[in-house]
Amino acid sequence: MSRSSFRAAWLLLCLLSPTVCAGEEFGFNLAEFEKKELEWGGYLELKGEHLELHENSALGILRFYRDRPSTLDRFSTTLQLDGSFSRGAATLNWVLQGSAAQDDADWEDTAEVFEGYASLKASPHATFDLGKKVFKWGKGYAWNPAGFIDRAKDPDDPEQALEGFIGAGADLIKSFAGPLRNLAFTAVILPVWRGINEDFGDRDQVNLAAKLYLLYRDTDLDFIWYTGNSRSSRYGFDFSRNLATNLEIHGEVAHIPKQPKNILQPDNRVELREVTDTSYLLGVRYLGENDLTTIIEYYHNDDGYSEEELGRFYALVAEGYSRFLSSGSTTLLDQAAGLSQLYGRPQAGRNYLYARAVQKEPFDLLYFAPAITAIVNLDDRSFSVSPEAVYTGFTNWEMRLRFSLINGGYHTEHAEKQNSSRLELRLRYFF
Amino acid sequence: MLTSMNCAKKIRPLLLLLFAWLAVILPAAPAAFALDGNEILARVDRNLQPESYEMYRKLINIEPDGARKEFVLYTVKKGREKMVALFLSPASEKGRATLRLGDNMWLYIPNVGKPLRITSLQSVVGGVFNNADILRLDYSAEYEVSRIEEKGDTYLLDLKARSGSVAYDRLKMTVDKQALVPTVIECFAVSGMLIKTLYYKDIKDFGDGIRRPATIETDSPLYKGYKSLMLYAKIAKRELADEVFTLNYLPRVEELR
Repeated sequence: MSRSSFRAAWLLLCLLSPTVCAGEEFGFNLAEFEKKELEWGGYLELKGEHLELHENSALGILRFYRDRPSTLDRFSTTLQLDGSFSRGAATLNWVLQGSAAQDDADWEDTAEVFEGYASLKASPHATFDLGKKVFKWGKGYAWNPAGFIDRAKDPDDPEQALEGFIGAGADLIKSFAGPLRNLAFTAVILPVWRGINEDFGDRDQVNLAAKLYLLYRDTDLDFIWYTGNSRSSRYGFDFSRNLATNLEIHGEVAHIPKQPKNILQPDNRVELREVTDTSYLLGVRYLGENDLTTIIEYYHNDDGYSEEELGRFYALVAEGYSRFLSSGSTTLLDQAAGLSQLYGRPQAGRNYLYARAVQKEPFDLLYFAPAITAIVNLDDRSFSVSPEAVYTGFTNWEMRLRFSLINGGYHTEHAEKQNSSRLELRLRYFF
Repeated sequence: MLTSMNCAKKIRPLLLLLFAWLAVILPAAPAAFALDGNEILARVDRNLQPESYEMYRKLINIEPDGARKEFVLYTVKKGREKMVALFLSPASEKGRATLRLGDNMWLYIPNVGKPLRITSLQSVVGGVFNNADILRLDYSAEYEVSRIEEKGDTYLLDLKARSGSVAYDRLKMTVDKQALVPTVIECFAVSGMLIKTLYYKDIKDFGDGIRRPATIETDSPLYKGYKSLMLYAKIAKRELADEVFTLNYLPRVEELR
């Protein structure tokens, strides 16, 4: 093709399809992005982990007291499918997740509906939802003490998808001119019946949660309230504000006047007490001149256990293991296993510090983000520290390499966890 | 003699009026000059986009070796300070949405659920464009003209940020006199350092009286060898409720399309 005929053909193409010729050799065909009734996507994840196990740690003993390996290799795969179907003012939304994991000891697989709800948008001011939904209330990055109707997230990976609860909700929004710019009210009815939300709390109850949001003088404010008999009533408040273009502060507080709490006694009895909890969190997010983002959060978990109370649990496991070795009896280990949901949960203590620093694209390496995250139990000074590197340079691929060192002194929270270190390579393909 | 005195008496009030007029006009002259610059800037804004609109854009990051990454965004804006951008592509970013209300910015990531406050200097896409470029309000909403100069077929405008919360402290904007749209904008930090340069290219008729550059190219001394482009495929006037620009609405922005 001669140069002049090529030019003529190109000109004709531009005339027929102007969006193709928006910029030199770069095209933008808008037809590819027209809205469809059915939208879907998701990701496939492959993850390989190598764990070095703590010698004689409480949680390690509870899992491996019969045959104790020193390392554990695990390979897992996860498939998440999300999507929506819209027609008129109604939308069906879903997030489905299935995963399978094989380590040196066990095979585990799960398939869950994380979200599945119908949404009716009556107007921009009002939306009604029915079904299983994640709410994510609270402003904290690593923890959300005021997330009364959410599952606890993993501070090691706060951006992981979580499973929601089934309920019916209404969302009302109003905007204003003046210092109060936005006002939003969200109310959720959350039943707990046989087969519905059974892991939320006591059964055969209908619970109510509400949140009032205000954007007042450039500050996000939330007033949160929960009442019902599945869990005790509770009150929350959170805020978030940019103090400068590169500095954000946030905080939240949760008050539970009457909270039942199981506490292990020195004689290994478990005593149920009613306590008053006030948990709170304060955090900052700062962006430095060299594109270093730092997140720091202090969390007081009033629902957690003191150093002494955690120590009793670790001593129970040690005594149980000693008895198992001498007599083969697993009575105490079984009791400890029953308590491990409370004493072995992530952040079972009282006072924590979370610090994360992410360097965006150092040395002009586009889409490369090294980071380091530390979680410190301020009472016993045990910690986990995790350097990582994330690369997203290949379209729709994400690669993360992460190493975690988990340690502390004798009978401290992190030293009593199952593993002392973890090396993880995670690969995600989005579609 | 009498005649000349009568003449002086007649002239005196006229002179007084002239002095009074000069006394009012002269101190106000620089303000009037600056006002012209601000008027030009306001017209540049209206030529670039209607006050309330919906828009489709593609962002392309190009690395020194020619490797590219592309993002497609659907954007709606209302008035001077309300804006939402939703990622339509690639799949890894789909569903992410950013909201801007004046100086406030939030990022909604579907898995994370709740919107996180972000800053104008960060970049949700990586590369040379930052959040302030992607969620850009009218220039006249954030800047005032401190100096204007005519140079051939162009106006050279020096813009100064109205507040410290704006991403760039100063802009040097070259404006095409005839089309009244920017051709080049240099963005400077408070320190005077050049952060990036934006090149407006390929003037195109988007219909409904909107005729503006369809391509913005940018480079930065901070990202040597890298280049980013923003391609515009559709800009159309659209009236929207204020409630669309709220945190609670962010997960539902897709429903506006």
